[in-house]
Amino acid sequence: MRFKYSLQSSLRSLRTHKSRSLLTILGIVIGITSIIMVMSLGQGAQDLILGQVQGMGSKTIIVVPGRQPKGPSDVAQALSDSLKERDFIAISNIANVPTARRVMPIVMGAASAAYGSDTYRLTIFGGGSAMAELFSLTTETGTFFTDEEVRGKQEVAVIGSKVKTELFGDGDAIGERIRIKGRNFRIVGVLTEQGSGSFVNFDEVALMPYTTAQQYVFGIKYFHRLFIEADTEADIARTVADIQVTLRSTHNIDNPDKDDFFVETQADIAERIGTITTALTLFLAAMASISLIVGGIGIMNIMLVSVTERTREIGLRKAIGATYRNILTQFLTEAVVLTSVGGAIGIALGAGLSFIASLILTQVVGSGWHFTFPIQAAVLGFGTAAFVGLIFGIYPARQAAKKSPMEALRYE
Amino acid sequence: MSLRAKRSNPVTNQGDRLLREYTRKDDGKHAYYHSKSKDMNIISEKNLGKTYENEDVSTIALREVSFDIRKGEFVAIMGPSGSGKSTLLQILGLLDNSTAGKYIFDDKDINEYKDDAIAHLRNEKMGFVFQAFNLMPRVSILKNVELPLVYSPIPEKEWEERARKALVDVGLEHRLDHEPSQLSGGEKQRVAIARALVCNPEVIFADEPTGNLDSKSGQIVMEILEDLNKRLGHTVILITHETYTAEHAERIIRLKDGMIESDIKVEERLSAKDNFVK
Repeated sequence: MRFKYSLQSSLRSLRTHKSRSLLTILGIVIGITSIIMVMSLGQGAQDLILGQVQGMGSKTIIVVPGRQPKGPSDVAQALSDSLKERDFIAISNIANVPTARRVMPIVMGAASAAYGSDTYRLTIFGGGSAMAELFSLTTETGTFFTDEEVRGKQEVAVIGSKVKTELFGDGDAIGERIRIKGRNFRIVGVLTEQGSGSFVNFDEVALMPYTTAQQYVFGIKYFHRLFIEADTEADIARTVADIQVTLRSTHNIDNPDKDDFFVETQADIAERIGTITTALTLFLAAMASISLIVGGIGIMNIMLVSVTERTREIGLRKAIGATYRNILTQFLTEAVVLTSVGGAIGIALGAGLSFIASLILTQVVGSGWHFTFPIQAAVLGFGTAAFVGLIFGIYPARQAAKKSPMEALRYE
Repeated sequence: MSLRAKRSNPVTNQGDRLLREYTRKDDGKHAYYHSKSKDMNIISEKNLGKTYENEDVSTIALREVSFDIRKGEFVAIMGPSGSGKSTLLQILGLLDNSTAGKYIFDDKDINEYKDDAIAHLRNEKMGFVFQAFNLMPRVSILKNVELPLVYSPIPEKEWEERARKALVDVGLEHRLDHEPSQLSGGEKQRVAIARALVCNPEVIFADEPTGNLDSKSGQIVMEILEDLNKRLGHTVILITHETYTAEHAERIIRLKDGMIESDIKVEERLSAKDNFVK
């Protein structure tokens, strides 16, 4: 039998039962729509986060204290005080790491800031004067703190735009003092608004010299991170190696397996985030595809009804010369056409809804969000839909093809 | 009433018109022709038996049925309900298997065919006309008649022409685009005959073809079947319980309780029939 004929007759039979066909494929439509949306939004989120990681500068290297976590239960190791002033000095030494252009320690934590009777919970970042460049930050008003202020442990701060609005409203914040941990910090700058889509929400921070933060806010002698900028991208590998050698020497470590720190590059972070978001996207897509199984069972159910309804037709077709394979093909084609139509509708619907969602997200997150329609998601969606039809169509089609022509013709 | 008289009956005028039309259009150009080599058997049954096994209860539908049907013959199988005539037709039409005996179709034992080969045999050598018409609803007459061609090796470009030709043969060439629901019972049965005809089969099986029709439509259908047999040489095997329908055949096989009661030429039965009808 001609495949073209099979296709035509399937389409005719679907047209005949328009509303039934539509309701039948609803499960498939919903499943494919969810998969497309999850994949499109997942891709968008990944692009956004990676964009920010890349915004950190491709020459950035981060030293994190503690052993690199080996698994989820290894978290405790990440909270370590192994990075100290001597490490900062050693890495800054051009003899140890000649390709490090800039080295900056970071301390961070949460704290409350008060101005008058208003208080606001914010994140404190203590760093060097190079913070602005390393984090690609600019000030709306005022300036960043200087190296002198870092060395002198000056109580100065640069605040995020939201902190400013919350504490000062429309008033001027520069020169005003806010209270953090019982000490007064003079505001020297206000950051340009970043939008909440940032990797770190810089609208809700106070930046200050790390020396000040260490002594007056957190009361610690160590650093949470060391940021190093390599001279060029080509120097990254060499810089990482030099940093490792230097830190092992200051920490008296012979065996690299016993490192109490680890070094990450921007590429490492991007890769890790990529892996996480991909895994998350696939997980969500897998959840969404449960509805495909439900939809497939619906297809199987309605195909069985259709086979019973058309028993006489099957009998006739067999009587006039249709083989087992002919009938099997006809009903399989029908199931696959049914689910493929569902898949196509789902892809269109998923793309449309993702586009609308991306418009809304652009409002919320800022210009960092872009609508992406992963073509592989469409191919996957359509293929899955057709596959569901094939799998769930086999049983009804076999039931149809197995019918004895005589009994089928006698069926009332 | 003889067969001749019936045919000139005003009630069957349309049948006459059809017959004239066929004659006009035939002119040797007709695609269908079966040589009436009356000596060759198309069907040969020896000691055929059929027993239905149903949950420890076995029902004997046919026993020790033997007969031959020659190419080009018009045979009616008669009998009361439960006599096994439908079972016999299903076995002859390869829609069911016998449980005993031997069935030779076209010089070959049916047991030698595989399932697919039997499907092809039904497609190419057999045509079926059912009491309930069994047309596809919501599909045009033309497409209905084309249906057997879909399963045949005949190339698609010939389908429409063949289907048209078959519809001409049953006098429905003016209703090609109608759907079955728009036709009368008699017309539906003529579409079914056209469908049985379209692959140019050796044998046409008609299972109570007039059972759902009024006498006038039934008469037309019978005259078409007779014409297909006489003029185009198709072997016709007819199942009926109506004597006046069976009279169109050359030969009547009567079944009773799954066995052949009689197997007689129609000419010999003429007088007996007159009494029966009265």
